[in-house]
Amino acid sequence: MLEMLDVNKAFPTSGGKVLDGFNLTVDEGEFVSLIGPSGCGKTTALRIVAGLLPPSSGLVFVNGKASLSPSREKAIVFQHFNLFPWRNALDNVAYGLEMQGVKKADRLRIAREYLDLMGLSASEKQFPAQLSGGMRQRIGIARALAIAPKVLLMDEPFGALDALTREYLQGELARICEERRLTTLFVTHSIDEAIYLSDRVVVMGVQPGRVIAEFKISLPKPRGAYNFRAEPAYATVREEIWQLLETQIVRAEKVAS
Amino acid sequence: MRVAVRPVPGEAGIAGLAGWRAALKHRLFTRRNALRLLSLAVVGSVWEAWGRGNPFFASYPTAIMEASARIFFPEVLPAFVTTVTALFVGIAIATPIGLAVGFAMGRIRLADVALTPYVNAIYATPRIALIPILVLWLGIDFNLRITIVALGAVFPIIVNTYAGAKHVDPELLDIGRAFMASPRQALWSIVLPSSLPYFFAGFRIGLGRGVSGVIVAEMTAALTGIGRILISHAKYLQTAELFVGIVLLGLFSLVLMDAVTRVQRRMTPWANWEQAR
Repeated sequence: MLEMLDVNKAFPTSGGKVLDGFNLTVDEGEFVSLIGPSGCGKTTALRIVAGLLPPSSGLVFVNGKASLSPSREKAIVFQHFNLFPWRNALDNVAYGLEMQGVKKADRLRIAREYLDLMGLSASEKQFPAQLSGGMRQRIGIARALAIAPKVLLMDEPFGALDALTREYLQGELARICEERRLTTLFVTHSIDEAIYLSDRVVVMGVQPGRVIAEFKISLPKPRGAYNFRAEPAYATVREEIWQLLETQIVRAEKVAS
Repeated sequence: MRVAVRPVPGEAGIAGLAGWRAALKHRLFTRRNALRLLSLAVVGSVWEAWGRGNPFFASYPTAIMEASARIFFPEVLPAFVTTVTALFVGIAIATPIGLAVGFAMGRIRLADVALTPYVNAIYATPRIALIPILVLWLGIDFNLRITIVALGAVFPIIVNTYAGAKHVDPELLDIGRAFMASPRQALWSIVLPSSLPYFFAGFRIGLGRGVSGVIVAEMTAALTGIGRILISHAKYLQTAELFVGIVLLGLFSLVLMDAVTRVQRRMTPWANWEQAR
């Protein structure tokens, strides 16, 4: 279980508060999306959870233990993949295990398992520059899963992919998270993506960044198995989220101008 | 099931000697190489015709060949060995120092602030201006040449390694932190490989400066070496003999740079792919 308690973040240079009294809980095995307009601080929130950024105040707990620095219980997937260009697919996936000091034979065996899970067994010797964006992000996901994290953090992981690849990988991710009951915090710009994947969608407001609403998505899973977009519940929740976001976008634009 | 393997050019390994020969033939006898040969013949003939009219000014290919048959083994080769030894020793000293200082400056703020002015100042100073003072300190011994080479090579290596170490993609460093890499692990797994292409760029420049440095040092203050030979033949208007040294140096530099390119491709294959995209 992942908890953020009254997290505040202000950057000394920009002056304003990026996060103000931010509270969020992701239950064991739950998939929660964090959605909001650009600049609302959702990436900041995720980086604080990952331990890459210290909060100005507030606490983060993983399974009840304070967790403000990176740990092997948390794994992150970035929008721009951030694979090491000098490592082939297999060695990229094995990176986290290597840093933990896992023996070579063991870490390669585990890395192969996860490459296989992402359908990339045939490309283990290839380097990132030789692979498509979709394949690279599958390596990014495999790298995160390979350390067997308790919490999976994803920062717009499909944001840099083309629409079709994106839709395909959403399905893959939904399948894996469902199978493994992963506790996942997923940052996104896309309402559709958030609804497709999530048990719960958390909407953020701007200036300052905070949680303004939560929506439980009760459409049955797996949602790839039927046309969930045709369900009346989908249209209703999508519209509600959009209404809320629209007011925030208008606000953000006003503040910016 | 056995599959018959036909010798394929470029896949020489599996096809044995016959296949290897075929592959070599395939690579050597290309239209490109034919054109190059033709161009060489034309340029050579023009030079030959013109040079025979002005033997002291330009010399000509057959005279150069004749001269090299005469002086290559007794005179040029020993001098060349001295020069190249000085070059390699100088580079061997400059490379680890350049790497260490470049990394220190790139990753440690104190080293950056303290050393940058010196590095910039010495890098900007023409090395030839240093020769007289170095002669004063070191004499005109072998050490002078090694020092000139090392001085010429070390700064481009420092400056480029520094740039590489300083501009490591912060998102990759985040990956290191997120996956719990210790500072030491981050250095080896992220900073080092990501600076390697920069280092090679600096090494290449340093090598070029090393070659020119050793020749200049020999021309101005040495009793042996290729630089000395060039000077002494120029003094007696022995143009053909002069060209023996020049051509040898040209060929040597060509082979040297090609070797660096090969090592670089081998050690940083990703750098080429990234550029190709």
